[in-house]
Amino acid sequence: MTAQIELSQVNKHYGAYHALKDINLTIEKGSFVALVGPSGCGKSTLLRSLAGLEKITAGRLTIAGAEMTAVPPRKRDIAMVFQSYALYPHMTVEENLIYPLRMRGVSKTNAKAKAQEVAGFTGLSGLLTRYPRQLSGGQRQRVAMGRAVIRSPKAFLFDEPLSNLDAALRVSMRKEIRALHDRLGATSVYVTHDQIEAMTMADHVVVMRDGVIEQQGAPLTLYDRPENRFVAGFIGSPAMNFIAARAVDGASIALDLPGQPVIAVDRKGAAPLAPGQAVTAGLRPEHLRIVDGESGSDHQAFTLPVRLIESTGSLTYLSLGDTGDISLVEHGREHLRPGDRLTLTIDPGLVHLFDPETGRRV
Amino acid sequence: MSETLRNRLFLAIALLLAALYLFPLYWMVVTSLKTGSAMFATPPSFWPSEPQWQTYAYVWESRAVGRYLWNSLVIALGAVVLVTALGTGCAYVLARYRNVWIDIGLFLILMLQVLPASLMVTPIFVGFSQFGLLATPRLAVILAIAAKAMPFFVVLVRSTFMSVPAELEEAGLVDGNSRVGAFLFIVLPLARNGILVSAILIFMQAFGEFVYSKSMIQAAELQPASVGLNSFMGPNTNEWNNIMAFAAMYVGPILALFVLLQRRIVSGLTSGALK
Repeated sequence: MTAQIELSQVNKHYGAYHALKDINLTIEKGSFVALVGPSGCGKSTLLRSLAGLEKITAGRLTIAGAEMTAVPPRKRDIAMVFQSYALYPHMTVEENLIYPLRMRGVSKTNAKAKAQEVAGFTGLSGLLTRYPRQLSGGQRQRVAMGRAVIRSPKAFLFDEPLSNLDAALRVSMRKEIRALHDRLGATSVYVTHDQIEAMTMADHVVVMRDGVIEQQGAPLTLYDRPENRFVAGFIGSPAMNFIAARAVDGASIALDLPGQPVIAVDRKGAAPLAPGQAVTAGLRPEHLRIVDGESGSDHQAFTLPVRLIESTGSLTYLSLGDTGDISLVEHGREHLRPGDRLTLTIDPGLVHLFDPETGRRV
Repeated sequence: MSETLRNRLFLAIALLLAALYLFPLYWMVVTSLKTGSAMFATPPSFWPSEPQWQTYAYVWESRAVGRYLWNSLVIALGAVVLVTALGTGCAYVLARYRNVWIDIGLFLILMLQVLPASLMVTPIFVGFSQFGLLATPRLAVILAIAAKAMPFFVVLVRSTFMSVPAELEEAGLVDGNSRVGAFLFIVLPLARNGILVSAILIFMQAFGEFVYSKSMIQAAELQPASVGLNSFMGPNTNEWNNIMAFAAMYVGPILALFVLLQRRIVSGLTSGALK
């Protein structure tokens, strides 16, 4: 694996606003990297900096080994798919597709042949003479992708390309984009605010907040071992439950719930907890298990009242606790009513602990 | 009141207002075709019984209408070309950059629009005579009109540019254009309609311009039709049919242009509002 894009100590200021703070990121050749975070976290700014549409204030950027920090977009050999698709409204689909080739001096005949080929595998064959306004949302999306893939650039940049599509189309385009990436062996950087898109499409996920990379790694690493409370809450749906707790001994904690129930935690080699140490326990809704009332005497279990039951048929979402702020997901259907009391337990290895002050994993 | 009845009432009101508005135009044409005695008949007739078409030929010959129209055309085209060439870039910059200096610039531009030509003409006259520009009076008038029309053009075209999404330009940059290339090949074609409409409006304004031409152009053979028409009228004028014929020949081309392009003009003016 060689690095296709490297960012070191990249900073971006807009006047007094510090949009990107010391970004260090290496994107391997052929990998699919997702930049994910809430709006205003700097992910789009970072992508636009890669494209050259924003000038970075400090730091260094290389693409395929070449210094690109101050190079204008047209000389970076990258392709970008915009959120609004940015199709040229005064050109037909074919003219849109061949535009990047024509800009690079490819002859009209060759460019048109290439457009035919790209139209073939993006499903645009019958639409080449249409104008963008005559296309549906999904078709426009495909034209935008076709325009990006028609020349073989050093990297593809996607700026929330699916956010204008309806839910069903989004799921299918997700697969299409990933399939196209694999087929072309391309390097892709994909910006999204949707953690599901990031988790399902990417090989490497970069979680950002306030211009800082909070954590990066393989999607399941982020899910299994979030480095801080922000990442833990951002990755996974529904979001992780956070409950204040206090260490009882090195390997068990008392949750700040009625009755102060004690549950075991598996430290997996991490330093044992100091008795009395304040922590925040992170329990994923899908990891909480409902146990029978009989085993409720088990000291690992705790009991909560049901507030709200939402069922989708295959999954049941429960809101628990006096204020209903603890959520739980169960497969199948539950015959419960609000007010019923549930006894819950969780595998000690699935309890995440964070420092209440810094939010870091402890 | 039923729906159809109300619609008809409004239609009647609209027709009445249109008739009121267009009456002077009608009166101009009718008067130009009347005989000397019919012109002063009481009550006036609303239809010329014996249309005097030869009045037009006579006025065209005796008053050198062709020359006047040619001068008007030269001045109007000169002003439009100048304003379009200089104003388009200015409008683009004002549309794309947002900061406090741009806001100040825009405010100053709008301020210029407020000053009336009759107020500006004296300082402009003095300035131009210092520079020796009055030796080429038509050029002087072109410059003065261009200066007057520029703010109007810039403000209109700026809103056209603002309706072209910046992402299209960025896509152009990523696809291999330079900054100038993206402007010329992506933004300009998309703003074409708005620019065209603004240019036409300025052309029509410049074609009828009077104050600057009257004060700066002394030689009759360089004066535009607006000044020519004015010099036709004196304190003891009674040849209204000839004056009206002159006026009809003057507004004819402009009216034809507007009728031909009106659909485009209206859609160009409202395009920013609808999308």
